[in-house]
Amino acid sequence: MDLVANNLSYKPDDQYHLNEVSFNFKEGNLYTILGRTLSGKTTLLKTIAGLLTPDSGEIEFDGKNFLKVPVWERNVAMVYQQFINYPHLNVFENIAFPLKQRKIDQSIIKEKVMDALKSVGLLGYENRKIQELSGGQQQRVSLARSLVKNAKILLLDEPLVNLDYKLREQLREEFKNLFSKGLADETILIYSTTDPRETMELNGEVIVLDEGKVLQVGPAKEIFENPNSLKVAEISNDPPMNIIEAKISDNQIRFEGIDVEAPQHLSKLTEDGLKIGLRSSDIELNENGHEFEVELAEISGSETLLHLKRGDTKIIVSIEEVLNFKIHDKVKINFKINRAYAFHANGKLASSPFGGLNG
Amino acid sequence: MNFKHKYFFLFPGLFVLIGILIFPIIFVVRLSLSGWNSYNPGLDYIGLENYIRLFTDDPRFWESFFRLSFLSVTTVILQYVIGFALAHMVWKDIKFKRFFRVLFLVPMMTTPVIMTVIWRTFFHESLGPVNDLLSVFGVAPKWLTDPVIAKFTVIIVEVWQWTPFMFLLLLAGLLSLPKEPFLAAAIDGASPVRKFIYVTFPLMAPISIGAIIIRLIEASKIMDTVYVLTSGGPGTSTETSSFYIFIKGLREFQMGYAASMSFTYLIIMIISLTIIAKVLTKVLLKE
Repeated sequence: MDLVANNLSYKPDDQYHLNEVSFNFKEGNLYTILGRTLSGKTTLLKTIAGLLTPDSGEIEFDGKNFLKVPVWERNVAMVYQQFINYPHLNVFENIAFPLKQRKIDQSIIKEKVMDALKSVGLLGYENRKIQELSGGQQQRVSLARSLVKNAKILLLDEPLVNLDYKLREQLREEFKNLFSKGLADETILIYSTTDPRETMELNGEVIVLDEGKVLQVGPAKEIFENPNSLKVAEISNDPPMNIIEAKISDNQIRFEGIDVEAPQHLSKLTEDGLKIGLRSSDIELNENGHEFEVELAEISGSETLLHLKRGDTKIIVSIEEVLNFKIHDKVKINFKINRAYAFHANGKLASSPFGGLNG
Repeated sequence: MNFKHKYFFLFPGLFVLIGILIFPIIFVVRLSLSGWNSYNPGLDYIGLENYIRLFTDDPRFWESFFRLSFLSVTTVILQYVIGFALAHMVWKDIKFKRFFRVLFLVPMMTTPVIMTVIWRTFFHESLGPVNDLLSVFGVAPKWLTDPVIAKFTVIIVEVWQWTPFMFLLLLAGLLSLPKEPFLAAAIDGASPVRKFIYVTFPLMAPISIGAIIIRLIEASKIMDTVYVLTSGGPGTSTETSSFYIFIKGLREFQMGYAASMSFTYLIIMIISLTIIAKVLTKVLLKE
């Protein structure tokens, strides 16, 4: 039972929330929608759920026109980024709600709810009021509520975004377990996120969305290794990939008075307006490197993010340790240039170290 | 905090409270133990004679009380149902939403006494427009002079006058509800009807209880409508407690007896409203 969309467009104001979005989701698979905030992720999920009607385009599920099916008859479940539950019901009643909408035996409901509670680790909480739970627990309740009905389509709209760091790590781990345990083979799982790391960890098919448009579709590894454009490279990396305007001639990459020997996959690109892309983790501190000036140094967790500047070129370097820098300090860095990407002036990928569009 | 002048600052509020609440109640109790009437205007002491008369020798009071209970419960239920329906209607995005929201409030903005005079004209048996229209079908109900129909006329006027108040409270309640549970309910497979039963209605329970209690208190004071519309008639068939107490006290000047009725009425109202509030809370909030 495939979920197929053709040219979905939705434009409630002067901006496209969805712009000619098409996809073909197959059962038993995990799809990750990766995009920045306001890229149309939530709109897309709501359209699939039936909470929004697109201006044009079609959705078919199981060969039937899905847009003609009212929300409550579509067999979908959804977890929102805000923890949405029923404030007037306790935990058990919350999770039982979707089951009670169908004619199901009380004893079966009880069994299913208990199963769901167990799988999200909330056994023993069934008589609590929703307001008595923490944010993470509330999100578990809504996850359990979405699991309990065995929906054919399970939509998770940035389910971790409103949780604190620790809970997020923990729940993400549990999600991975839940998903890999094989949510019934016939489920289509659609997970939206802004976080590239989450996307890579979930390791499903990725749809990169920006301004309502699909930019690239492919397995997580492929998106990471061969982003087809500058935009995708920015969206699928955190911090975003460094983009350096450079010129390649005589087998040298030249920018800001620096000459770096071009690796083989870049050496033949001699056009004007070329942009070199390099991940922040592919730059390292090195005594014999090129001198840059520190603009800002942020420490995030066990990592230091250095914002550096030389001439008009600004780059971000991530270092796997906590280091103290002052603004205007001079640092010397080296580029792992054989990991560099090249993009044409129009933003399309020119060459990637993993073999995309060589030369 | 120990501040020796604190009672001085408490005094203005206390003075008003004593003047308008505590003194009148105490005075009514004292009055109810007297035989104050137009022949004998004075605070003499006759013990519980008034109460004994009320409980053993005055079926008219109890009839008016049960009539009042019937009228107030019926009107409040109707007001709640109609008010909820109207509020629910303009809660959703419909055309001319603002227009309807204002339109439904119009009856509340009118002066009740004047509107009742207009209703009385409407329902006049031979001259009123209602019977004029109904004459097409060859019927002419005695809106104001039939003992049974007159009760319903009172109900119609009361419901018309006060449904907007219920509408206003319930609309405010609906607008203050979180949107999220409704999104969840749709996805969880609840059709619009089930969504109303399982989400909207339970979420509205606390507001409903408040609105119903406020209206019950107001409705049990039905007086002006009855006074203008039927004057309690025909006979005593639309006479309510407050109207009967008014007749005894301010028409026949049996002040002592009216005071004993007022006090008894107050006690009954406090007890019954407390019970109703408890029951509503139990039924609607399941607590």
